Amino acid sequence: MPRILLVEDNEMNRDMLSRRLEKRGYTLSIAVDGGVGVALARSEKPDLILMDMSLPVIDGWEATKQLKADPDTKQIPIIALTAHAMDSDRQKAIDAGCDDFDTKPVELTRLLGKIEELLKKFPPKA
Amino acid sequence: MKSLPFRWQLTLFIVLICGLTLALAFAGLYLYNVQQFNNEVQRRLDRTKTVLLDSLTQELAQNPNATDLPLKLLEADAQISAAAVYSAENQLLARYIRPGSNEVVPTVPSVSSRLLTNDRAVVWTQIRSPKGAFLGTLFLKAELSQADVEQFTDLLRGSAIVFLASSLLAFVAAYRLQRHITRPIIELAAVSASVQNSRDYGVRVSSSASGEIGVLIDSFNAMLDTIQTNTTALDLARIAAEDAKEKIHQANDQLEEANRTLEARVEERTRLLVKASRDAEEASKAKSSFLAKMSHELRTPLNAIIGYSEIMKEDAEDDGDARRAADLDKVLNAARHLLGLINDVLDISKIEAGKMELYLENFELPKILNDVVATASPLVAKRGNTLKIECPPDIGTMHADATKLRQMLLNLMSNASKFTENGTITLRATRRPAANTDMIEVAVIDTGIGMNEEQLGRLFKAFSQADASTASKYGGTGLGLAISKQFAQMMKGDITVASTPNVGSTFTIRLPADVEVKQPSVVGTSEQRLTKSPFPTEGSKPRVLIIDDDENVLTLLAKLLQKSGYLTTVAETGEKGLKCALEEKPDIVILDVMLPGIDGWTVLTKLQGHRETAEIPVIVLTAGHEVDMALSLGAGSVLRKPVDASRLTAEIAMQLNPTASGYVLIIEDDHDARDIVIRMLERENFKFRAATNGNAALRILKKSRPGIILLDLKMPGMNGFEFLEILGQHPEWGQIPIVVVSSMDITVEMRDYLKTRVVAILQKSKFTRDDLTTLIRPALQT
Repeated sequence: MPRILLVEDNEMNRDMLSRRLEKRGYTLSIAVDGGVGVALARSEKPDLILMDMSLPVIDGWEATKQLKADPDTKQIPIIALTAHAMDSDRQKAIDAGCDDFDTKPVELTRLLGKIEELLKKFPPKA
Repeated sequence: MKSLPFRWQLTLFIVLICGLTLALAFAGLYLYNVQQFNNEVQRRLDRTKTVLLDSLTQELAQNPNATDLPLKLLEADAQISAAAVYSAENQLLARYIRPGSNEVVPTVPSVSSRLLTNDRAVVWTQIRSPKGAFLGTLFLKAELSQADVEQFTDLLRGSAIVFLASSLLAFVAAYRLQRHITRPIIELAAVSASVQNSRDYGVRVSSSASGEIGVLIDSFNAMLDTIQTNTTALDLARIAAEDAKEKIHQANDQLEEANRTLEARVEERTRLLVKASRDAEEASKAKSSFLAKMSHELRTPLNAIIGYSEIMKEDAEDDGDARRAADLDKVLNAARHLLGLINDVLDISKIEAGKMELYLENFELPKILNDVVATASPLVAKRGNTLKIECPPDIGTMHADATKLRQMLLNLMSNASKFTENGTITLRATRRPAANTDMIEVAVIDTGIGMNEEQLGRLFKAFSQADASTASKYGGTGLGLAISKQFAQMMKGDITVASTPNVGSTFTIRLPADVEVKQPSVVGTSEQRLTKSPFPTEGSKPRVLIIDDDENVLTLLAKLLQKSGYLTTVAETGEKGLKCALEEKPDIVILDVMLPGIDGWTVLTKLQGHRETAEIPVIVLTAGHEVDMALSLGAGSVLRKPVDASRLTAEIAMQLNPTASGYVLIIEDDHDARDIVIRMLERENFKFRAATNGNAALRILKKSRPGIILLDLKMPGMNGFEFLEILGQHPEWGQIPIVVVSSMDITVEMRDYLKTRVVAILQKSKFTRDDLTTLIRPALQT
């Protein structure tokens, strides 16, 4: 089963999204800030990362940059989660190296579509 | 003589003449007396001779050589100084010498020499007998007696006394007489000198005189009268002039004071306006940031509501609890609707704050259409509508903001679904080739309830739906179309609508297939579209001063203007801009109004207020709507930000060389009315300049002559009629055709008056673009 790392500081968002993704069969790791997110990505090498952008410690853009700069983690697809219509955030996310983005509140069907698409493009090694 | 006073000259003159006359008279008298005296002496001599001859003749007749002749008798005659008698042989017979006299008796001279002698005091007489025989010769010599001499001296003395007395009398008389003649002349001279010295024209020559001097005095007095009158008049005039000067001075002072006050007021006003504009901007910023924050704050709990509702709904469905699932579905729909509202409000506030940005990307249009259809099809199906897609497979790629296009299409689809029941909704895409870039048209066509004219009118306005009751019946914020329209316009496109009540509506999105990569602040930079400088040769290149705090704008504009044939100076602050303007005297200034430190309005006011920079045309760049303010502060023209470089260069060229091509001068105080006309002119590519009243228009006229003037009649400051009056006083402006554009009720008198001065009268909002074009085009071509 694909392993997804969810980096999200908001507890409710984390709870909802993880429960709904787990229900659909994904294995989830949770990080509550950018620092933990980068560390977990390096240690666990998830198949995909869902990255909130406004995060404590280090923010989502910085975390993405670090992961994309690291040869060990750069192949892991990252979906940025940004607030609605914050176009600049979205553009910044793409610039930072995110492979796709989606807006919060998450529309699950659409997000699942994007996750599946990316997983097809970057198939899990295991 | 010349130094001698006139009266002495005159006196001397009279005395001289008198003296001369008397001397002549005296000489005449003297000669006469001498003559008389001589005659008397001669007579007496003759008498003595006659008496003596008688006795001598007797004596000699008896004895021709008698010597005892009675010459002694002559002693009785004091006059005879000597006597002698000579014989016929000229022998001296007798002689007499007066005692005491030293006379000598001469010999008898020859007859000829005797005749030649003209001595009256000497007598030579021949003594002859009564028979005529020559007996001898008598010599007598007379001399003046003492008495005679005394008498003569007396005569001389008397004459001298008379001469002197007469001379004295003449002098006295002359002295007195000359006063009569000279007094008026001397007074005349004195008065004349005094007039010359004292410039007192009040004095008069009081003496009177007859003849030419009288005439002279009268003339002189008359002249003084005239001079005095004139001087008085002159003095009065001078006093009046001084009064006037004083008044002018006072007026000037007042004017200066008024100017100062005015300046202070203008500055105060400007400050207030700027403050107001800043306040408004800050308020707007605050509003935007509040809305952004609020929507974020609202969305966070809404996220939870939507998310947990979805989880619960899924759980309920899994549990087979259909009722609970249906209820949760309602909660979800309501929450999603609320989210939609919040998102719309956020969009609108971002658009209003000018913060909405475009993210242009290449995409396949069919893919976007399919996405939209996929999302919208449940909505379309909800009211029994059929969905049709008409999209040619070769429509190709687009370069635009895909997210915004998707949002626009979803909005149109959602609207069409709401207002159509059991009908057809068609999504039709077309590519329309055009010169610069192809246009993509996506139409959403429904067969719904449609709209009437009035509803169409307020369709695209924020917070206004076609019908107030619509919201309750169909839902929606009424923001969707306004947002869509803004999105379309941001991408240099538009949304138009055509609708017939009860037949249906067609909304058409038109976008350039290749939306130009928008520079953040300067657009229209393609080199072919730049207007070249009218004076491009080296050495005559006009200098443009650009004042803008945005370094990108400065660099880009400077580069573009240099390419167009200008020299450029850039200033990042108002202070530096003012300094550059004074030092370099640029030919034109481009001024951004939003500046740190002293702002653009202050810079504009100072430029206009300074003698050395007042004539430099200023093109104002503004992101806001302060066109009126800029024009009223004296800006040559106003361009909206982002700066359209092609328009900017055209404007610069026109400001520098206004005669090169005609332009339309719009004089209109009402912003909306002006805007309507400007849009029409822009559509026709006419150059134009705008003024908010007659005064502002005159300022423009003085700098450049328009091809035609569009004139409103009712304006604050100088109204249209006053403007026409002033125009009439300048023959050089007399030939400019004028079109009156007014909402006034024009009376017959007004019409008659206007008929002589204007080429046409248009009633505001009752004329078409064609009407205007027909009037303008020939005026600009000639």
